[in-house]
Amino acid sequence: MRKFKYFIDYDKEEKWLTEMAKKGYQLIDTSFGYKFRFTKPEEATIKIDYRTFKHQEDFIDYCTLFEDSGWQHIVGKKNSGPQYFKKIDKDSDDDIFSDKISKAGKYKRLSKMFIELAICFLPLFVAMIATEVIDLDIILNPKLLYLTPQLWDMNGELFWKAFIFETPFALLRALGSLFIPLCIASFLFISYRAQKLYKKNTN
Amino acid sequence: MNRDKDLPLTETTYYVLLALLEPAHGYLIMQKIEELSSQQVRVAAGTLYGAIENLLKAKLIQSVKSEDKRRKTYVITDKGKEILRLDFERMQHMISITKELLN
Repeated sequence: MRKFKYFIDYDKEEKWLTEMAKKGYQLIDTSFGYKFRFTKPEEATIKIDYRTFKHQEDFIDYCTLFEDSGWQHIVGKKNSGPQYFKKIDKDSDDDIFSDKISKAGKYKRLSKMFIELAICFLPLFVAMIATEVIDLDIILNPKLLYLTPQLWDMNGELFWKAFIFETPFALLRALGSLFIPLCIASFLFISYRAQKLYKKNTN
Repeated sequence: MNRDKDLPLTETTYYVLLALLEPAHGYLIMQKIEELSSQQVRVAAGTLYGAIENLLKAKLIQSVKSEDKRRKTYVITDKGKEILRLDFERMQHMISITKELLN
């Protein structure tokens, strides 16, 4: 079964995954939505860290440390970011962090990753404006997306009919120009939210 | 007096440095800390990994060759020993002044 959800707050995501496990849904993949396998219901403790790694051996060392201390690495790749762990040793503590600052640190890393992503997209944005792939006029004045002659001079029913008829085409025309700016805006939003969660969790 | 920017150490980093006076890998560090602190301090994996990362960056510990391919081994550096000594002296001063004032 696949489910599509997006969390920035890891506490909420952990809670949700724990509830899914209670219903018998075991998380097996997160590369495209959340993929679950239906097995027997279990009381699982699932915790999430956020990390990316430069070298494969660093990633292996990281997973081994968790496994040695009673936490099985269930989902996550070297560069994917979120790393999911399930408690397998009854005697282990209930969290993968033992102090507040290090627990909040994952939000700091998440925030940094998305601000870097936004910065990486900026030159692309500028280049696309310079080469007129993105038409700035369209963003500033969406009326230009409508090509029906004299549309904006029409009145009443005639206007609404023409307007509604053309809107899907206008949206398609806008897509090319709006896609990259929307990406940048959402990256900045995620980064901002993560930064707020970092502050909340360190106070 | 200008104090070193790495001071004071947190309880976790202090114990990690203490544990790494001899080379050890991650899980061994966790076990050593539990032993050294008389079961008072238990460092979780995520916290320890972050502490190791910071100590490497500050060059207070370094990684050494190990035969275990899945586990990296670390040991304290000279700079790390120096910082450990400075923090020890800082705490010793706190202890002596507290003894004097509290009694």
